[in-house]
Amino acid sequence: MRTFVVALALSAVCAAGAPVMAQEGHPLKGSWIGTWAGNTVHGNDLFMVLDWNGKAITGTINPGQDNIAIKTATLNPEGWVLHFEAEGKDKAGAVVNYVVDGKIENLAMHNRTVTGTWKSQRGSGVFKITRQ
Amino acid sequence: MTSISARARLAALSIGAAMLVVATATAHHSILAKFDDTKPATVRGIVTLVDWTNPHAHIYVNVRDAKGGVTNWAVELESPLDLKASGWSEDTLHPGDGITVQGISARNGSRQIWARSVVVTATGREVFKVTHTPPPAPLSPRPVPKFADGVVRLGAMPGASGYWAYPSATALVEDGATVAMDPYGQLKNVADASKVAPMQPWALALYQARQRRFLQDDPTYINCKPPGGPRQFQQPFGVQFVEDRERQRIFTLIGGGNHNYRILYMDGRGQKGQVGGDDDNPLYYGRAVAKWDGGTLVVDTTGFNEDFWFTNGGLPHTDQLRLTERFTRSDFDTLKYEVTVSDPAAYTRDWKATWTLRWVGGEELPVYFCQDNRP
Repeated sequence: MRTFVVALALSAVCAAGAPVMAQEGHPLKGSWIGTWAGNTVHGNDLFMVLDWNGKAITGTINPGQDNIAIKTATLNPEGWVLHFEAEGKDKAGAVVNYVVDGKIENLAMHNRTVTGTWKSQRGSGVFKITRQ
Repeated sequence: MTSISARARLAALSIGAAMLVVATATAHHSILAKFDDTKPATVRGIVTLVDWTNPHAHIYVNVRDAKGGVTNWAVELESPLDLKASGWSEDTLHPGDGITVQGISARNGSRQIWARSVVVTATGREVFKVTHTPPPAPLSPRPVPKFADGVVRLGAMPGASGYWAYPSATALVEDGATVAMDPYGQLKNVADASKVAPMQPWALALYQARQRRFLQDDPTYINCKPPGGPRQFQQPFGVQFVEDRERQRIFTLIGGGNHNYRILYMDGRGQKGQVGGDDDNPLYYGRAVAKWDGGTLVVDTTGFNEDFWFTNGGLPHTDQLRLTERFTRSDFDTLKYEVTVSDPAAYTRDWKATWTLRWVGGEELPVYFCQDNRP
């Protein structure tokens, strides 16, 4: 048992120091996980998958049964400012329109973040996602 | 006192070894990523250790200050491979030797200096000077070597050795553009960034950001990632062609980096991924199919991943990157390399760059593994 614990602990340390997969293309491309605090309709936790096709940023929030399609998204490279709008539905089927504004931090890092704010007709709050 | 079982010690040892492998595969840099060329410095002291390790050798020096205190400085040199090629060894200096080092200071203010000259106090001799001198050009061009069927050889003749090195350009710049940069692709003036290639706004901004950080985030250096794309032909330690005609493919091997290889398929296959292979798995070197067009080898490559920088200097690319490369051995000692870059997700139009490489005959590729880099 002690062997297992030692090995497990050292494995964890080892994994922490391992090189991570980079994403050196478009800075928004990839999977992101974070929160949009205070969202009583879709919950605090947030998953996003974003892509860049050369002309437009596309993506989905919370991919799955209750996914939310991103309708429009823009990235201004001057300051790396992100703006996107998305349309979801609550459990009763009512439309919820989201507007999110944020900024990419730590651009050079694989685990860069976007922080900002979100708002909808049902609330507003701060927003933070980290690239996986 | 708690004892640890032999098995636990073994587990710890093996995992520790794995950690070491991870650690040693990291950390290298362009010179300006670590040192500031606007801050000249001089260090005089006594050698305490010569550390002959990739990516750069170091001399450690005890320096006495005005108050009589002693501090230890790290003097960074070129790679052991370059130093050795210039006639130096780890025995060139010994602990106890007095030296004077002139160079540039570390950006972070630590006691490190990049050496531009190292002079032995007792003799006045300059040591560890590296000269990157290509082989002398023959008085008259030698004919292009060919196989019996008349196809051009890109590699060495049977029984001989050789490789291509000393690229006439060490960073990718669109043909016709004149942009000042160092051998690592660091622009002299970041304001020139837009002249390098026709980038989309996001790509230009990302390129500028990388330049402003002096290329310190280059995954080829910090994580030992393969130098895919045209970068393979702008490496400091050259590239070799191994022509396997029986299997209808050409291997290109690099003399530095992590010694990965790229395969140019000559068997007429199309740009179709191999099931269970690269069909849904983009690669560092992409998928390359090639054919001869007269005396020029034309290579079409797609299927790149986005986990690396495809140029020295950090021009961005996406998984839409497609390269058309043309290799022409214009004489025995000269290889002309032309590449057309097509990446509509990063650039506003296709663009082209051209340079030449020199034949280094009678030698095998230098052995330099970025895996050996110190952490």
